Amino acid sequence: MIIIGEKLNGTRKAVAAAIRERDAGFIKNLAKEQDEGGSAFLDANAGTAPDREPEDMVWMVNQIQEVSDLPLCLDSANPAAIKAGLEVVKKTPMINSVSGEQARIDGVLPLALEHKTDLILLALNDKGIPATVEGRMEIIRQLIGMARDGGLEDEKLYIDPLVIAISTGTDNAMVTYDTIKTIAQEFPKVHITGGASNISFGMPLRPLINRYFIAMAVQAGLDSAIINPNDRELKGAIMTSEMLMGRDKFCMSFNKAFRAGLIGPKPEK
Amino acid sequence: MQELIDAIADMMEDKVLELTQKYLDEGKDPAEIFDAYQSAMEEIGRRFEANTYFVPELIMAGEMMKAGSELIKPHLKEDAAGDKSGKIGKYLIATIEGDIHDIGKNIVGMILDLNGFEVMDLGVDVPADKIIEAAKEFQPDIIGLSGLLTLAFDPMKAFVEKLTAEGLRDKFKVMIGGAQMDQQVCEYIGADAWVTDAVAGVNKSKEWLAA
Repeated sequence: MIIIGEKLNGTRKAVAAAIRERDAGFIKNLAKEQDEGGSAFLDANAGTAPDREPEDMVWMVNQIQEVSDLPLCLDSANPAAIKAGLEVVKKTPMINSVSGEQARIDGVLPLALEHKTDLILLALNDKGIPATVEGRMEIIRQLIGMARDGGLEDEKLYIDPLVIAISTGTDNAMVTYDTIKTIAQEFPKVHITGGASNISFGMPLRPLINRYFIAMAVQAGLDSAIINPNDRELKGAIMTSEMLMGRDKFCMSFNKAFRAGLIGPKPEK
Repeated sequence: MQELIDAIADMMEDKVLELTQKYLDEGKDPAEIFDAYQSAMEEIGRRFEANTYFVPELIMAGEMMKAGSELIKPHLKEDAAGDKSGKIGKYLIATIEGDIHDIGKNIVGMILDLNGFEVMDLGVDVPADKIIEAAKEFQPDIIGLSGLLTLAFDPMKAFVEKLTAEGLRDKFKVMIGGAQMDQQVCEYIGADAWVTDAVAGVNKSKEWLAA
């Protein structure tokens, strides 16, 4: 499971405040704990206000790189911010994201192609998130086609089929699962990623729903997730389902995570 | 009518339609039946605020209300059902430019509608100019701006400034809604009120209209 640590996001209030006040300690802590929590990438979103975002992105990337060697996932709708981030990263990053929205195709995609980065592709366009599997696949096919034409290998692509809150539609999770299965069938080499929390909007017991949602998504073919890597319960759900799906030889990842104290009840000190 | 109110509030869909039909057949006043639906909606709102009900109950209530209205409408007199005379106020709603989140906005729009508001929904990623243009035309009592991201704050502020510049600030109440809203944000933007869930938005709106 390729985990993209989601916590360094300027659309979250505490992070926005840390960015504005240049609270390096706060940013470094978040980076460090997500690194230790088993992330493969650290998402970096400095989006508090468009005019200062490029400068904020550079500052944030520099802080993160002081405490973590992980590649970053430069997260912005603003090409200028991603460009600024690309100039200071030490390792080739991932870019989050390109969708079927024309502004992203025109502004962000060329940066990913030029720098040969990993790239998250979202199944939405200027009209929103399609309600059907076929609607989402149409966008996904179009985006993968453009990435291929630009010279990006499938292995560098992370497709996010997206999910709409189950509280607003009985079949909403199923649409996501079926989209995942279709992607895995048509494009066996791409990665499939997604978040875990949108599913439970408007519902009680959100963490419980999130855990089962992601476990079932793993069964459908999800091999990456944009999550809080320090959420032990969520992490445990992911590792268990990967193991049960036969993707963890001799259960080594699961047992290693257990020994490292990363999953299961917190060891008593 | 209490039986019908309880049935709606308790999400007993089949019983709701059955009772509605029965009351209509018995010749009960359709307007009174309609009022029962309104009362039930208020109870559902209270349960939502008490964290007993959640978004699915709101949506299901919307479905029941729709189905019930279909049954009642043919029995209502022209003046009550036909034109907008039954509406208690006008609400213009949009997700502000720079944000495309619409789940919250859609739910607010639906609940407002169920509570007797005439709602105009401009969709997502809507520029300030378009909202102002629509407001001039539609003449709402309240303009509601939705935004999930902190990125939405500045466009909302810009909207209020534009409204002020055009001399229209006093014509409408401005409400902002989204998970990240608080008093500080509200003051920064210059809105009249902030809410973080649909039912709170409806309650605030009713309060304004009653004032």
